[in-house]
Amino acid sequence: MDEIQRERNEMEKELRGKGERPDQSLGITRRTFLHKSILAGAGSVAAYGWFPLINTLDLTLGAQATFRFAWISDNHLYPKDVNTRFVDKAVRAVKDVQAMNPPADFLIHGGDLAQLGDPVELDLGSGILKELKIKRYHIPGEHDWYLDMGQKWTNLFGQPNWTFDHKGVRFVGLDTVSRGPDYWTAKKMSPKERMGHMATLDGSVAGYWAGVGRDQLEWLNRTLSSWGKDAPIVVFSHNPLYEYYPPWNFWVRDWREVQEVLKPYSNVTNIHGHTHQVLYNEIGKMRSIGMLATSWPWPYAPEGVPALTKCMVRVDPGDFFDGVGWSRLTMNASAKIENQYMMWRQDVLADSEVDSGCSDNVNQVVHPRVADREWPYYGAYK
Amino acid sequence: MKIAGRRWYVAVGAFLVLELVLMSSQALAHKGKHTPEQLKAFQDVFMEQVRVGDLLFHGDEDTQKKLNIKLSRTGMACAMCHPFATDTHPHTFPKFQGQVGKFAVLRDMINWCIENPVEGERIDPDSDAMKALEAYIYWSNRDAKLDPGRH
Repeated sequence: MDEIQRERNEMEKELRGKGERPDQSLGITRRTFLHKSILAGAGSVAAYGWFPLINTLDLTLGAQATFRFAWISDNHLYPKDVNTRFVDKAVRAVKDVQAMNPPADFLIHGGDLAQLGDPVELDLGSGILKELKIKRYHIPGEHDWYLDMGQKWTNLFGQPNWTFDHKGVRFVGLDTVSRGPDYWTAKKMSPKERMGHMATLDGSVAGYWAGVGRDQLEWLNRTLSSWGKDAPIVVFSHNPLYEYYPPWNFWVRDWREVQEVLKPYSNVTNIHGHTHQVLYNEIGKMRSIGMLATSWPWPYAPEGVPALTKCMVRVDPGDFFDGVGWSRLTMNASAKIENQYMMWRQDVLADSEVDSGCSDNVNQVVHPRVADREWPYYGAYK
Repeated sequence: MKIAGRRWYVAVGAFLVLELVLMSSQALAHKGKHTPEQLKAFQDVFMEQVRVGDLLFHGDEDTQKKLNIKLSRTGMACAMCHPFATDTHPHTFPKFQGQVGKFAVLRDMINWCIENPVEGERIDPDSDAMKALEAYIYWSNRDAKLDPGRH
C-alpha cells in the first residue's frame, strides 16, 4: 500500500467514528446526466465498477430540491488580443448559468479568473461575470493573486475569505492561495517573474504554496463554533482540503489541521477547483467534490487519485470544449449537496477503461522538471 | 624446428608493419575503452538537450527565438496541459494516432499539438528543437514501461 493511502487510512480512523459516513443516501434521478450504456444494462456497468463509485455522480432519489447554486472557476483568461479561446468558454459558462431555470440563488466563482494576474485579465473576467444578474461570491486562485499580491483582485471582489448563511446552510469561502511561502524576495524577482513561477503548475520554484494558514484556521473554527454540529456546512476552496498530489498543489499544506477543525461536524461538503477534473473524496465525515474548469482539463495526477473518484472521460485535445464546463449544485431537502457536472460534450464520466482519463496513463512514470531549478532563472517570465 | 634466421626477421618485421597499419586504421574493430570523462560528456550533452526541451515545453520565449521557432501564437505552452510531461505517452509510440490520422511516431504528435491546441507553427521534424522536445518528454517519462501500439 503506498504512503498516501496509509496516511488516508490513518485519518479515516482518526476522524470517523464507528458506522459514520458522509452520505447515507445514494441514488440516481432522471435529471442526472448518464451515459446511455448504464441505462442499457448492469453488465458493463458492474464490470467497470460503477458501484460504489457512484458518489461522483451525485443526486439523491426523491429528495426535493430546496435551492440551487452554480460554480464557475479556472477560466485562466488571457487578454483578448492574445487568446480568445478561454474568453469564449467563460462567456458560454456565464450564459449557461444565467439561463438556469429556475434561476440559481447565487454563483460561486472558485478562483483563477485570470491567467497571469494581469489587471487587464481580471477586468475582462469581471466584465464577463457582470452579465450574471444573480448574487456572486468569489474566492481567489493563485493565478489571480501573485502579480500584485491580490491588490486588483480584492479591489474587484472584496475579502478573499468570508461566510454567509443561506436557507439553513452555512457557506464558508476559504482563501487557500495567498499564504504561499516567500520565494521571490531573496531572489529579487520582479512581479512578473513571481507570477510566472506561480503560474507554472509543475514548476519547482513557487513550492508548496497552497495552505489555509493558522490565522484562517482559527477564523474557521470561530466561524463554525456557533453553528449546529449536524447542520449543513459547505466550504468553498480553490485547492482540495486533503492531500491528493502536492507537487501540483493539489492539496493544502495544513489539511490535517483543517480536518481537525471540521471533525465535530457531521455534514460538511468541500467544493473546490484548481484540479480541472472530476474528483470525489471522503475524509472522515467530509465530502470533497472537485469541479471542472472552463479553460482546459488537467490529466489525473501520477498518484493519489482518490479511490472513490469515478474518473472523467479521456479528453480529445483537438476539441477545445471537451473536458471542461461548470457545475450546477443543489441543496436538497435532506440537507445534502448534489452536484451535476455541466460538461459541454456528451460524456462526463467514463464507463469503460479504454475511455477513462485514469487508465489513459497506465504504465506512466514521470519526473519533476529541471530547467527552472538553477539560479539565475531563465528569461521566460521577464 | 628452427626457422632460417633471415626469413624469421623478415616475418617479424612484416608482422610489426602490419600491426602499425592496422592500429592506425579508422576502420579498426578494436576501440578505446570508455573513460569516466567521456561518459560524463555524453550525459552532459543529453541533459543539456533535456534542459532545452524543458524550456521549450514550458514556453520559454528566449529559447524559441534562439532556435527560430514559434510554438504558440496564443501565449500557451505544452506544460499547461502536460505538467511533468504527463499524458504525452512517449512509451506508447509508434502507434495509430487518431488526431494525426495515421500511424505515427512521437514527433508527429508533437507537431500536431503545436499546430492545433497550442496554435503555433509546425517545426521541422529533424530539427534540434524537435530533438530537444523529444529528449525532455522521454526523460520525464523515463521509467515508464515500453508499451508500443497502445491506444
